[in-house]
Amino acid sequence: MKHYADDYSVGELMCVTLSKEIEDGDVVLLGSFTPLAYASYILAKITHAPNITLLAYAAVDPRPFQLSFTRAEAAATRGAALLWTMLEDLNSVHLKGRGDVEAISSIQADQYGNINLSVVGEYDKPKLRGPGGAGAPEVIKMHRKMIGYFTSHSKMTFVPKVDFITGTRYVIDPEDRIKSGYRPGPIRYITNLAVIAKEKKDKPFKIESVHPGVKVEDVINNTGFELEVPAPVKETEKPTKDEVKLIREQVDPYGTIAFDFKPGKERLGYLKSILQKELESIGYA
Amino acid sequence: MPTESKVGKLSDITKIIKNGDKIAIGGAWLGNHPMAIIRQIIRSGIKDLTAITVVSSIDIDMLIGAGCLKRLMFSFVSMEAFGLAPNFRRAIEKEGLPYDEITGLAVIIGLEAGGRNVPFLPYRGPFGSDLVKQRPEFYKVIKCPFTGEDLIAAAAITPDVAIIHATRADHAGTIQMEGTSATDIEMMRAAKKRIVSVEEIVSTEEIRRSPAKSKVPRFQVDLVIEAPLGAHPTSCVPQYVFDPWHMMKYMEMAATPDTFKQYLNDFVMKPEWEYLEAIGGMKQASILRRLAREVKFLD
Repeated sequence: MKHYADDYSVGELMCVTLSKEIEDGDVVLLGSFTPLAYASYILAKITHAPNITLLAYAAVDPRPFQLSFTRAEAAATRGAALLWTMLEDLNSVHLKGRGDVEAISSIQADQYGNINLSVVGEYDKPKLRGPGGAGAPEVIKMHRKMIGYFTSHSKMTFVPKVDFITGTRYVIDPEDRIKSGYRPGPIRYITNLAVIAKEKKDKPFKIESVHPGVKVEDVINNTGFELEVPAPVKETEKPTKDEVKLIREQVDPYGTIAFDFKPGKERLGYLKSILQKELESIGYA
Repeated sequence: MPTESKVGKLSDITKIIKNGDKIAIGGAWLGNHPMAIIRQIIRSGIKDLTAITVVSSIDIDMLIGAGCLKRLMFSFVSMEAFGLAPNFRRAIEKEGLPYDEITGLAVIIGLEAGGRNVPFLPYRGPFGSDLVKQRPEFYKVIKCPFTGEDLIAAAAITPDVAIIHATRADHAGTIQMEGTSATDIEMMRAAKKRIVSVEEIVSTEEIRRSPAKSKVPRFQVDLVIEAPLGAHPTSCVPQYVFDPWHMMKYMEMAATPDTFKQYLNDFVMKPEWEYLEAIGGMKQASILRRLAREVKFLD
């Protein structure tokens, strides 16, 4: 019998939902420092998926570590079973389709499984020059699942067609993936409102569940492309009391997950408060 | 006979890096960028560089803001949680800095091709990405000569100079790495000349006590510079974490071109030892080292 939590943040709900994407034995890549995704993998590792291999920075199979703002890289490196280079990583994992999950986020995402981390507006005269895709444009195709997480589900993010295709899932249908040498798996986006997924090139994204307290209309009205709406729509499983306790006390005691949900002008102050706690943790007041 | 020494000073980089060179810059994310060398490039007034990076942050942003670049090749430039890179954005959105945006894998595979002395390497690359259309100089769709399968050819990347930061070296130039090695080794193989800053220079005897940590042989190194905290404000794990307090300062001062000039005056246009004083000296260093040591595991 599961005891569901009454008191949890949307970040904690997303973290637990993302952790359920991790299956025991998976190869899970951490990518750039994104607290919500890191927390979900570590939560998976210390709960239902002890046999996953984490890949973080140069570290292979690090011990699960407590998240903080400054120490993820040091912790992964100090707890590593092996240290390797990016080339060894991509030769062993990416190019062989051996990766299972590496959650990505994006400035824009569209109905075709394209992501845009490059520009808003014209490529040569952008309104916004984004950071670029790093590994994302290729991992979303190569890894078994394409998992995205979006902390602000809106028509700004979920557009009919991205301004620029930095990367794309490219082959979506299971049989096409197998033919192309990749393992079949869904495109699944976990947002602050819902979970939506696409498994066929010619079918739209489908609402898999809406989060407790969110109306189906809210999801539809905040998505810039057609969604398949099953009847009835399921509710996203709430986090359990134990999961919330683990996140707050073990995985993320400094509250890094909440950082991504703070409005722009509150971020710096919040960051400073986390850093103050980190200083206190090493005996500097 | 004593072996040849590769050890030099920061100011010796001008013997190797020339105006107009293509330089590959090591490190990744907020980790292990050769920042002491970057600051020295700015101090020395080296110009018109083409920078090549895989996943970068303040290293590239600072070079752009200081006016050292004429072109940029990158897969990612971001200050991560601190925000988008301010000088990078300004230069592209307002000043039209020419750039080549390439996927991370193509940068790494392109450097590997450069190191192997072949013009390209094939892989099952980013089909469907607009980047392939945008930069045909770096991506070509080719047919496998054996199976007829479509593949993507990633063009070789051949920097004039690679600059990286590493854990330690001996005077002969054997380089040890204990942390985030990024694609530094491929950069070193692909480049014509190589400069490495290290946390410490030790004896060859000591290097030979742990040869598994040695990642670059001496014949692939041209200049070794001892630069403790030489990756600051980025990290050099497992020794020290990135400096979030300095990153906040940088973001504040890089917000406008005028305040960024002030940043360069306050932190860069002075000898490296004064930089280390300006960022908080020994006290700040010990905080960053302590954070890197005091990590908590959950198993």
